[in-house]
Amino acid sequence: MLYRLKKLVTIRFILTLFLLASVVYAGYAMYYKINYWGFSLFPKTKTNVWTVEADVSFEADGNPIKISLATPKSSNEYKVLDQDIVAPGYASKIENGRLILEADGKEGIQNVYYRILLFDNEAAKGKVTAPTPPAPEAPVWEEKQKAVADEIIALAKTQPGDLPQQIIRIFNQTPPEPTVTAFMPLKKTPKDVAEIISSLLAYKKIPSRLARGIKLVEDKQSFAPDLMLEAYVDGRWKLYNLSTGQIGLPKDFVIIQRGGTSLLDIEGGTDSVVKFSVLKSVTSSFSLAGKRAKLANDKDAFDYSIYNLPVNQQNNLKWLMIFPLAILVIAVIRNFVGLSTMGTFTPMLLAMALVKTGLIPGIVCFAIIMVVGLLIRALFTRLNLLLVPRISAVVICVILIIQLMTIIGYRFDSSIASSATFFPIIIMAWIIERASITWEEEGAFNSCREIIFSLIAALATYAVICNETIRYIMFAFNELNLVVLFLVMLLGTYTGYRLTELKRFRPLVK
Amino acid sequence: MFKWLSKYFASPKALREAGIMGMNNRNFKIISKHNRRCLYPLVDDKVQTKKLAQQFGITTPRLIGTIEYQHEVGKLLDLVKDWPAFVIKPSHGSGGKGVLVIAAHDGHVFVTPSGKQLLYKDLYQHISNTLSGLYSLGGQYDTAVIEEMVNFSHIFDDYSYQGIPDVRLIVYKGYPVMAMTRLATAASGGRANLHQGAVGVGLDIKTGKTLKAVMRNKPISHHPDTGADLSKIEVPFWREHLLIGAKAFEMTGLGYLGADIVLDANKGPMMLELNARPGLAVQIANGLGLYKALKRVDKYYPKNLAPEERVDFVLNGRKK
Repeated sequence: MLYRLKKLVTIRFILTLFLLASVVYAGYAMYYKINYWGFSLFPKTKTNVWTVEADVSFEADGNPIKISLATPKSSNEYKVLDQDIVAPGYASKIENGRLILEADGKEGIQNVYYRILLFDNEAAKGKVTAPTPPAPEAPVWEEKQKAVADEIIALAKTQPGDLPQQIIRIFNQTPPEPTVTAFMPLKKTPKDVAEIISSLLAYKKIPSRLARGIKLVEDKQSFAPDLMLEAYVDGRWKLYNLSTGQIGLPKDFVIIQRGGTSLLDIEGGTDSVVKFSVLKSVTSSFSLAGKRAKLANDKDAFDYSIYNLPVNQQNNLKWLMIFPLAILVIAVIRNFVGLSTMGTFTPMLLAMALVKTGLIPGIVCFAIIMVVGLLIRALFTRLNLLLVPRISAVVICVILIIQLMTIIGYRFDSSIASSATFFPIIIMAWIIERASITWEEEGAFNSCREIIFSLIAALATYAVICNETIRYIMFAFNELNLVVLFLVMLLGTYTGYRLTELKRFRPLVK
Repeated sequence: MFKWLSKYFASPKALREAGIMGMNNRNFKIISKHNRRCLYPLVDDKVQTKKLAQQFGITTPRLIGTIEYQHEVGKLLDLVKDWPAFVIKPSHGSGGKGVLVIAAHDGHVFVTPSGKQLLYKDLYQHISNTLSGLYSLGGQYDTAVIEEMVNFSHIFDDYSYQGIPDVRLIVYKGYPVMAMTRLATAASGGRANLHQGAVGVGLDIKTGKTLKAVMRNKPISHHPDTGADLSKIEVPFWREHLLIGAKAFEMTGLGYLGADIVLDANKGPMMLELNARPGLAVQIANGLGLYKALKRVDKYYPKNLAPEERVDFVLNGRKK
């Protein structure tokens, strides 16, 4: 007795351990998939994918060509999904975040394209570390220049915001202050203005650098990157809009180049121009997962996961992945609640049909098939047919009923009737057969009770699996099925009373 | 709310204290521990059960013959020509499904005990249905067993609306631990299933006398149709009944089994069939917990006794 008890405890103990292990594993897998593959906890998540194309054109002069182009950086907001270079005859490589293209003996107008796919990286958090930059070298200025600089800074102090903001604002003032105009270079390109501001900041020992970025706007053609200023203030890099002084990364903005390096360097060519264009597309997070896995350097794991399969096979598996949960519901209904149903998994299959038909149309349709089927089956009883041919006849009748309902459904545009096709034919035939035999042997009451219990079990299962979020989660985080497995097995060691037995044996206790 | 609950539902604790055995408990702790799967065919196949019973000296209704294939159905008349009364049963049937009793026949017209007249073609159809698996447990092809009709003792006539009641014994480790008889009523449609409204009478395992009678979970004193006083039931040849149950343990090796026994007017108690998964309704009929009874056997009953010694042990109680 004690030994037996011990043995029982051990089985349960082992299963509990397995259950805990599977919970931990599933939890880790979920964490991993969310963070590295970019899965989300809810279905229908769409991710914006931006195609940024840089078109570099220049005139080659016959000397060896070396193109060095700044490329977008991964940031908290955007990750690189894919890149692609169209440069026939060029050897390409990516070095320190720059695209290097090299070729020999080209002449005439050259056009190379660099395309990069970026996605909104809201779910996955990349890490960009920013080491404290060294204090900038003070610009080499004459006394007179220093005096003007001091004057400008003093003027700037009247503006709101921190120092970089103040300086930017004073430079953008209209009409400009005469001191500012005096300090300005002759060519007032945004870049030159930015460099002046940067040197003023350096003068005040504030590290700063130029940043070029692209505003991601749908279908934007041929534009030059926007210039911004980054300054190291209060222990972190802040990004400043050079015309308004606004702090922070603008929405949908991706930095492609930072610091003193140029956007584009070309050796062996002249008249170089780089034009950018942006195209937006929307992809489900799911289909991006593969690419993300590649980024996370575990393409192999992904290759062997179901998410790498063709979409229609994925859909089949998606449907299959909900079965374990439905089975768990059935196991609970049978072994814990103690409801006796027709056939073990019949209610589950009914629930699956209900998911496809919708609740009300499904139940109405089920009832119609059952009633008509039972009437026909009652006729068969008189014919005294043998078992297999009789079942076969019932199956054929069910098919005919379903066919008829579908036609009627189409004719009268009734979704109830046309949902008939989703019911599993063989299962329906067996339910009719079982119900009919129970009817004859144990009476209409028991027969109806069995059908109603089966329907209740089906509805309970339906309640769980009709939820699209649950279905999605069971598919996206299929490790959860292991948890379900051990739950079912643990249920197999449940020796307590079933809920229905509490009622059944009620007369036995005072 | 709580009051309402406790009116209709027992608390698990109360059931545990009463030693009531639940379905999960029965399957997990009793059946899977004491009944090896490979032994099931011995009781699921009535032909095998009958042959084994003969070896162990257990009386069963005499086998007239078996029909295994469709082309053999024609030999039915030949088989029963010397038997005025006989029974056709599916070999793998359960719960009395597909049992056809013929009380008299002349080779053309067959009469059932209730007086219904059947023709040869009806019997032919019935046997064909049996062979095709209509009445078998899993719906697989089956064999029709033809055996002699039990010459039922008339002792129970007043107690049953239709059909003949049998005694169901629950035998644990060779010890009969609980007994009941099921009496058909009009409400149960002449069937002996408690959940259909048959009367369940718990029998004292030591005496074979009524312990308690219930119908639809409620105590009852008289049969609803015949009006017979249910408290007066006393099964004769009780020791012989118990002995059949006890021997069934050696015969099958099943540690937990149900034995269905009928009383023949001339031959005494006869074993009708055995069940490796006897239900739990016996607890309701007896008003007693089965788990408690089984635990008592585990704890106090001696092991390695012969069937007769075990029956004596049950009848006389514990000896010093």
